[in-house]
Amino acid sequence: MFNVKISLFARTRDLEHNIDNLHDKIIEMTMVFKEAVGIYLRERRSETYRHISKKIKTIEHDSDVLRREIEGKLYEENLIPDLRGSILRLVENLDRVINLFDEVAHKFYIEQPEIPEIYHSQLQTLVAQVADCAENMAIASRAFFRDLVTLRDYSQKVYLLEHQSDKTAAKLRRAVFDSDMDLAHKMQINNFIEEVADIADLAEDCIDALLIFAIKREI
Amino acid sequence: MFEYLFFLSSGLFLGWSLGANDASNIFGTAVGTKMLRFGTAAVIASIFLILGAVISGQNTAETLNTLGEVNTLPAAFTVSLSSALAVLLMLKSGISVSISQAIVGGIIGWNVYNHKPTDTDTLASICASWIFCPIISGALAVLLYLCVKSLLHHTKIHILWQDMAVRTGMILTTALGGYALGANNMANVVGVFIDSNVFEPLQLSRLYTLNSTQVLFLLGALAASIGVFTYSQRAIKTVGKNVLSFSPMVAWIVILSESLVLILFSSETLENFLLSLNLPPLPAVPVSSTQAVIGAIVGIGLVKGGKGIKWSLVIRVVSGWVATPVIAFMLCFISLFFMENVFRQVVSLP
Repeated sequence: MFNVKISLFARTRDLEHNIDNLHDKIIEMTMVFKEAVGIYLRERRSETYRHISKKIKTIEHDSDVLRREIEGKLYEENLIPDLRGSILRLVENLDRVINLFDEVAHKFYIEQPEIPEIYHSQLQTLVAQVADCAENMAIASRAFFRDLVTLRDYSQKVYLLEHQSDKTAAKLRRAVFDSDMDLAHKMQINNFIEEVADIADLAEDCIDALLIFAIKREI
Repeated sequence: MFEYLFFLSSGLFLGWSLGANDASNIFGTAVGTKMLRFGTAAVIASIFLILGAVISGQNTAETLNTLGEVNTLPAAFTVSLSSALAVLLMLKSGISVSISQAIVGGIIGWNVYNHKPTDTDTLASICASWIFCPIISGALAVLLYLCVKSLLHHTKIHILWQDMAVRTGMILTTALGGYALGANNMANVVGVFIDSNVFEPLQLSRLYTLNSTQVLFLLGALAASIGVFTYSQRAIKTVGKNVLSFSPMVAWIVILSESLVLILFSSETLENFLLSLNLPPLPAVPVSSTQAVIGAIVGIGLVKGGKGIKWSLVIRVVSGWVATPVIAFMLCFISLFFMENVFRQVVSLP
């Protein structure tokens, strides 16, 4: 009996670490992604970009492993039966955000879009807003496990940043389509802008679901 | 001895009903919220129910004897059987009911049939406990709920540790609830057989010997344990899930409040302590664990705004509380007639 308790204690602590680590991975991803886009705009597909792209892949892979471990432990240990479904969905949502960061970074690597310098500053602003949005989503999600008041505070920040990123994306797309570039080029850049902005949309969707889970979590 | 055991069978049947019906109040919410497995909860509750019945079960028996001293074995058989049938009837219709009310209905039925006076003071005290039991339980639950909520808000404990704490708390509370149920309610089951008890004291070890009444209570508790394992899962469906959809933390608060109330109404020490302070005492009377649970659930539901409570089901359960003693009373009255006139048994001594 005592051994069972100790083992359950250790497994609960492991699971807590895994959940924390998954949130750390998102925050790390947002910073690396911001850096990666900056490098791409300066150097295109350079060795440095290749290197940072690899780093993004590693983060994505690590987060996949963490997600599987969390899901497995939640079911194996029969933990938090009332909220297990919500937590599984939350973990999957977090993983989708990380995957989307990876997909966009990889797309830059494969397609190597030619982005005129006049759009660099606006694109970097958009990337910064999107990364901030995802970072605040991660903080809100972490707070879900400990403190619902903080969750609400950060959720508001996510909504605000998503709205700002929408405006920045719309402005940038307008500027791209008003330019003299050929249509194919415009479409390619527009596609990238949309993909980057989609990350903030996904973060917002995660927060919507998270707030519903929070209602269930209240005692 | 054989005759005694035959007549005691109705008491054991009532014991079975107690296990089937009231055990769901102890761990129904824990099992309903999937925090404890039914098997684990049933084993813990049964062990502590037996301990509670044997160690402290006799405190509440006196009150029932004051209400009506059922003084022949066939009469005790009839009172128990009618009460058990009333409970079973209500259980079959999916309503979780009170054994205490059934036995009181049965005893009054015996009093009326034999033209014996019913001690109105005791009856008033028992009826008052039926009213105060859910109120005190509700108030305790609200207090505990607000304390836990405030504690969680300030300490920001991780949800996983909360889960572990609640699980541990539920195991402890299931044990406490089992003990409290045995201590408070076992008098309902075998109390009417104390006067005609024929059991010999039972030596368990060199240090501890069960007196004859404790042996009787042990048998009742064993019957209740069988009820826990064989039928309580059905009653859990009513209490555990239907009245209010709640979180495991609230489920734990509900069980804890119910157990504390049962202990409050079983403790002679507390009764004497309140009397020594010139405060109104809580009498050692068998109260209903069902009422305590419903009181706690409704109390918390009201604090949360009353939206989650399924009032139609609460009304159904409360109507069961009124119906149970009435049905037990009528069944007892009719059965005593048959017992006396058809089976030629003595149902009352002067």
